[in-house]
Amino acid sequence: MKRATSISVFLIGFVMLFVVAACNNSTDKKVSDASDSLKASKDTTAPQKTSKDTSTVKSTQETATIKTTDIADKPVVKLYNFYITNRCAACIAIEEATTKTLNTYFATEVKQGRIKRQILNVDDDANKTVSEKYQVFGSGLIITRVFKGKETTADLTGAGFKYAKNKEEKFIELLKKQISDYLN
Amino acid sequence: MKKLAILLFTISLSFQGMAQSKGDTIISNDTAKLKLKVLYFHVTNRCNTCRSIEAAVRKTIKENFQSELDSGIVALYVINCELPENKVISQKYDAYGATLAVTKMFGGKEATEDLTNFAFSKIHDEDIFINDLKIKITELLK
Repeated sequence: MKRATSISVFLIGFVMLFVVAACNNSTDKKVSDASDSLKASKDTTAPQKTSKDTSTVKSTQETATIKTTDIADKPVVKLYNFYITNRCAACIAIEEATTKTLNTYFATEVKQGRIKRQILNVDDDANKTVSEKYQVFGSGLIITRVFKGKETTADLTGAGFKYAKNKEEKFIELLKKQISDYLN
Repeated sequence: MKKLAILLFTISLSFQGMAQSKGDTIISNDTAKLKLKVLYFHVTNRCNTCRSIEAAVRKTIKENFQSELDSGIVALYVINCELPENKVISQKYDAYGATLAVTKMFGGKEATEDLTNFAFSKIHDEDIFINDLKIKITELLK
């Protein structure tokens, strides 16, 4: 009888351990999902040259279930986080708050390829063309709406330096509004 | 010995505070004549761009509006917005980081224009920055 009881206790303990282990695995997955989405947005932003165009193709292929015609009929929003080699806390805060905004509010649009982001060092010669195009020679945050061959650009650098470090929620609110306006 | 260590620690903290406050500049010579405030806010750990903007603002005033500054028509504020003692003025001008603003005074009221975007986009060319800021201040003083 005692033997049967101890076997039962052992089995219950084993089952509980299994359940706990399963729960831990699901938490790990969530974390890795979150980091993956961050990574994906970084990948589309990686210093470019020709990667700018190929990233469009790549993200479209990845989301094969989305009709390409649907995306083509809608504006595309491009975000550029420019920085210099020696970065300050405010510049880093702008980049981090931009990442947070995209992950929180626009993860779907990023996956669809409707929002493309690049994080570019203006001191790198490879980024000279794009930084000159937007007249950015230091830290800067530029948002461009591209629709039917026409570009409209907003400069949120000032808002970034004013709010991203010490009033992040206001910066995120402004950035969210700008992106939402440009997506329509 | 322990008391001495506490005393030295307190003194060093006091000097640190003084050193941070010392960086602030407020030149406002006659509030009765005041027509325009030029305000530049910055954070404690500053980058070169932020320092360059402050230098260019000071240069603009010194080279073009020194007499207005001396007489009190123009006031210059350079303030660390992260210091507790500057919290009220920073909030008043919506400055939580590097912020350049000009405030026109009229009939006891204030109208503030934010020039932060201008500052960060033009500072790569100091001559253009100074010239454009000079034009802006001249317009507001009319």
